[in-house]
Amino acid sequence: MDTATLAGPLEARLSAVRAAGFSHVVLNASEIASHPGGEQAAAAAVRASGLHVCGVQVLRDFEGLSGHLHDYKVDVAKAMLRMCRAVGSELLVAWSSTSNHASGDAAALVRDLRKLATLALPLGIRIGYEALSWGRHVDAYPKAAQLVDEADRANLGLVLDSFHVLAARTALDELDYVDSRKIFLVQLSDFLWHEARSAEERGEAGRHARVFPGEGVHSAELADFIRRLDEMGYRGDYSFEVFNDDYLQLPPATVAGRALKSAKWAIDHVSRRSLPLRRPDARRAT
Amino acid sequence: MTIQESIPEPTNPIAMDGIEFIEYATSQPQAFGALLQKMGFSAVARHRSREVMLYRQGAMNVIVNSHPDALPGLAAPVETPMLAAMAFRVRDASQAYRHSLDCGAWEMPTRASAMELNIPGIHGVGDSLIYFVDRYRDFSIYDVDFVPLPGAAPRPPALAGLHWFGVVQAILNDRTNDWVDFYRTLFGFTILPEGKYFGVLPKGTLLESPCHTFYLQLIEPPPGAEDIHWDEGLVRVGLGAPDVRAAVRALKERGIVFIDHGAVQPTEKGALTQVYQGAVTFELVVSHLKP
Repeated sequence: MDTATLAGPLEARLSAVRAAGFSHVVLNASEIASHPGGEQAAAAAVRASGLHVCGVQVLRDFEGLSGHLHDYKVDVAKAMLRMCRAVGSELLVAWSSTSNHASGDAAALVRDLRKLATLALPLGIRIGYEALSWGRHVDAYPKAAQLVDEADRANLGLVLDSFHVLAARTALDELDYVDSRKIFLVQLSDFLWHEARSAEERGEAGRHARVFPGEGVHSAELADFIRRLDEMGYRGDYSFEVFNDDYLQLPPATVAGRALKSAKWAIDHVSRRSLPLRRPDARRAT
Repeated sequence: MTIQESIPEPTNPIAMDGIEFIEYATSQPQAFGALLQKMGFSAVARHRSREVMLYRQGAMNVIVNSHPDALPGLAAPVETPMLAAMAFRVRDASQAYRHSLDCGAWEMPTRASAMELNIPGIHGVGDSLIYFVDRYRDFSIYDVDFVPLPGAAPRPPALAGLHWFGVVQAILNDRTNDWVDFYRTLFGFTILPEGKYFGVLPKGTLLESPCHTFYLQLIEPPPGAEDIHWDEGLVRVGLGAPDVRAAVRALKERGIVFIDHGAVQPTEKGALTQVYQGAVTFELVVSHLKP
């Protein structure tokens, strides 16, 4: 689960995640930073929860800047990497830039992604680069994959978010060109609108109106997405990346309960990993 | 019209020219100094204001730092000597520093420097540092910060032709590619073909410096070592010797004990000392590298 889906203090969110039966969690830098006891208390709460942190998000608008804007973002990145270290996360999620000041020059983007990977390296942290569907220059995973491929750093990979793939209707066939070992995290969510044609609409739906897999109107596409990832050999973590204003007004236990139901939906509909003998059936089903 | 051509990266981006010094941090400098002397080093100078000593043999300099802030991130050096830093000789230290930061290295905390001269440096593996030194020809960094010990020969010769051969670095599981990226990107190290090893400890991944004067060896935990405490850090220096057996004999005469059983017993290829003072070993490797 991603704690951003839940309301309440960090401890209550972690407790709800744990109580619902999840063992892994994605944390958000803002909730670590805003913890009343400070970063150390937040880190202690995370350790006490027993949950494995599979990622921290999110570093925004890092790549493509120059001069003082770039220097500023390097400082932000370093502080976030320290937070990752403090809470035991081996992954920092970096969203593709939405900044009007960012260059779209591929060489500059590659250079900055390499630099970010090197910053993370001594701390033992990996960088997961995620294409936002409203990103300024990188707005779909194939473009992100191309940059990651070109940057060619062992600790730099991709984060795939089903929302952006479904909302922007990015072709899933492009996954054929992605090395599954370079996918560091897959985030799952659905949404309630049939279409989100413009970047503005996608931004609105993506920030406020996502739902758990199985709750939305793109279940078939979502199932196909996960099945393809499984078949291409992805064996990493999945997380529910659900930004939903309503869920932030509900008790965390209620929302975590919906997440658990969604996990069961995903297992029932798509996972063949625990049932390897049924793999040939799964292939036919696609 | 613009002409776009693929310009290759320089093979030696910081104009590296070998190791200037290796720094250890310990709260027991006398005991460690005695060990260095057994290894053929001589104490040649003392820092003007800090608890730092310079040992030397041939072209090798070792700094022993027992100042309370010797280690970044730690309160003070502990009894067990730790390999705290490598100093690379470069053509232009500030260029090397800028290049490293541009690539994404972390600047070192200024308090941690063993020197009062402004020697730029970056974070290396674990708590270690990497310094860049460009004053190593006519005028040395030691001329400023250190006072020669009375009566000590300033340039004691190397025992049995010993010289720097390399540094061994422990890394966590699946981190080899990360650290290869680090040394390749920042400094232009190249990976040696799999199976090419020197000495008596043929494991891990070997990287050759762009100046072809020393090696780094990256070692992940061995299989079945789940119960061993294994942190990332610099663990050992390798000393090159043109004749390992002669070097072993000379060091044994000075009281150094080598592991003499199992796979790492002394051969003409190399030798490994016993563990001293809780964590320190020295490795000998047959080498005709020019000191």
